[in-house]
Amino acid sequence: MTQIAEQAQQPSQKIPVRAPRPQGPRRERGNVELQALHAWYGANHAVRGVSLGFDAGRVTAIIGPSGCGKSTMVRCINRMHEETASGRAEGEVLLDGIDLYDPAIDVVGVRRLVGMVFQKPNPFPTMSVIDNVTAGLRLTGADKDEVEDRGREALVEAGLWEEVSGRLKAPGTGLSGGQQQRLCIARALAVEPEVLLMDEPCSALDPVATLRIEELIAELKERVTIVIVTHNMQQAARVADTTAFMLSGELVEVGLTEKLFTNPDDDRTEQYVTGKFG
Amino acid sequence: MPETRSQYRDELDQLEASALGGLELVNAALERTAEAVEHQDVELAQLVVADDDRIDGRYLEVHQALITLLATQSPVATDLRLISALLHVLKNVERMGDQCVNVCKMIPLSGNEPPADRQMVEMILTMARQTRTLIAQAKRAFEGRDVEMARDLVRQDDVVDNLNRECFRLALEIGDDADRREWAMTMLLAARAIERIGDNAVDIGEQVAFVVTGLFREFEDASHPV
Repeated sequence: MTQIAEQAQQPSQKIPVRAPRPQGPRRERGNVELQALHAWYGANHAVRGVSLGFDAGRVTAIIGPSGCGKSTMVRCINRMHEETASGRAEGEVLLDGIDLYDPAIDVVGVRRLVGMVFQKPNPFPTMSVIDNVTAGLRLTGADKDEVEDRGREALVEAGLWEEVSGRLKAPGTGLSGGQQQRLCIARALAVEPEVLLMDEPCSALDPVATLRIEELIAELKERVTIVIVTHNMQQAARVADTTAFMLSGELVEVGLTEKLFTNPDDDRTEQYVTGKFG
Repeated sequence: MPETRSQYRDELDQLEASALGGLELVNAALERTAEAVEHQDVELAQLVVADDDRIDGRYLEVHQALITLLATQSPVATDLRLISALLHVLKNVERMGDQCVNVCKMIPLSGNEPPADRQMVEMILTMARQTRTLIAQAKRAFEGRDVEMARDLVRQDDVVDNLNRECFRLALEIGDDADRREWAMTMLLAARAIERIGDNAVDIGEQVAFVVTGLFREFEDASHPV
């Protein structure tokens, strides 16, 4: 059994604060594979048999018109979809070959391995900057000093350290929108996920804050597999190595970003990316 | 689903029409150039030189508008390929116009005397007619996104290339008279300029294939002929 499988199948409290990371230029962990994934909201069949892989060390963008199922599909990866009333999913979501929907898998462990950043920054309103970052870590029962050290590292990884190092005890909600979003990214990174899901992470941010996040994505992809849902096709073109286009719950086309934006294979992709519908 | 970005789409259509309209300007310039060569008509030649400003103006106007469209509309996929191709077409149009100017600037050099070799002049006029056919065909191929018609430009251009080589042979045989040799050399340069216009038309054909297929391939590789 692989280390990830062991971690995922353990209760979250037993997961070590810092998982050993592989050395070398390319990560071998964090490969996600969806196989015939279906998702419903009650009778609404939102995701229809999507089979798609997300490679470690790469950024994959999911694009498509509103209601096409892209956010739902992504929320299935860390089993957030099942938290929605009437939400259910079928098919397989494999992380390095381990089915995350296996009944033996601990859901909290899944969400530690597959972090998520949402559309609007959502720092815990009553917590300080450092407490926000370490909130997930503290649940693991790790030593306090170790938790704070890792929190500081996560702030560095999220490109936020220089801006907040002098006010770690100040409220997280006192930061700007862009800083709050990077704080949320730091919070997700603090627990050392293998995969980071980003659902419209820049839609509430100004252009400068957006570009900071995009730069951060480029820096982080060596360490964590990134899946980003975006309505901004230029953002997908800028940050993603691979882009997938969804329509009406189905995966229409997936390929290298430069190919999809210059010469897509499917006419529906062509119509969408050129703005003929949306 | 309702169609969107209609204003952008209209603008792109108009810019394509303007860029391809440049080929009509070139065709008219080449027709006048041939006439000026045939009749040693210096005034007509000067008119072609002056009129090249219209072709250059078209280049600048459409080029700037395409750059603005790239900056403001972030075109992708077929739209991006089309704009890239139109930028190439414009460059070819501008070069074709310059080649007409090159020929016309040589007409005073060829003197006001009757042509030293009527056969060579006829050959150049045939080259010009054939090249005008190429230009018109390149325009039609682009408008119709017709790759086969675009590929056929290579065959048509071979006719021009062969006539150019024939001009060279005639120039070699023109004799020892210095004036006749100078005239022949000038006509050879004119033939070469027209031959290059034919090549530019083939280049436009290659852009048609790029727009349609997304792959750029030279129809014929001059450095690696089959």
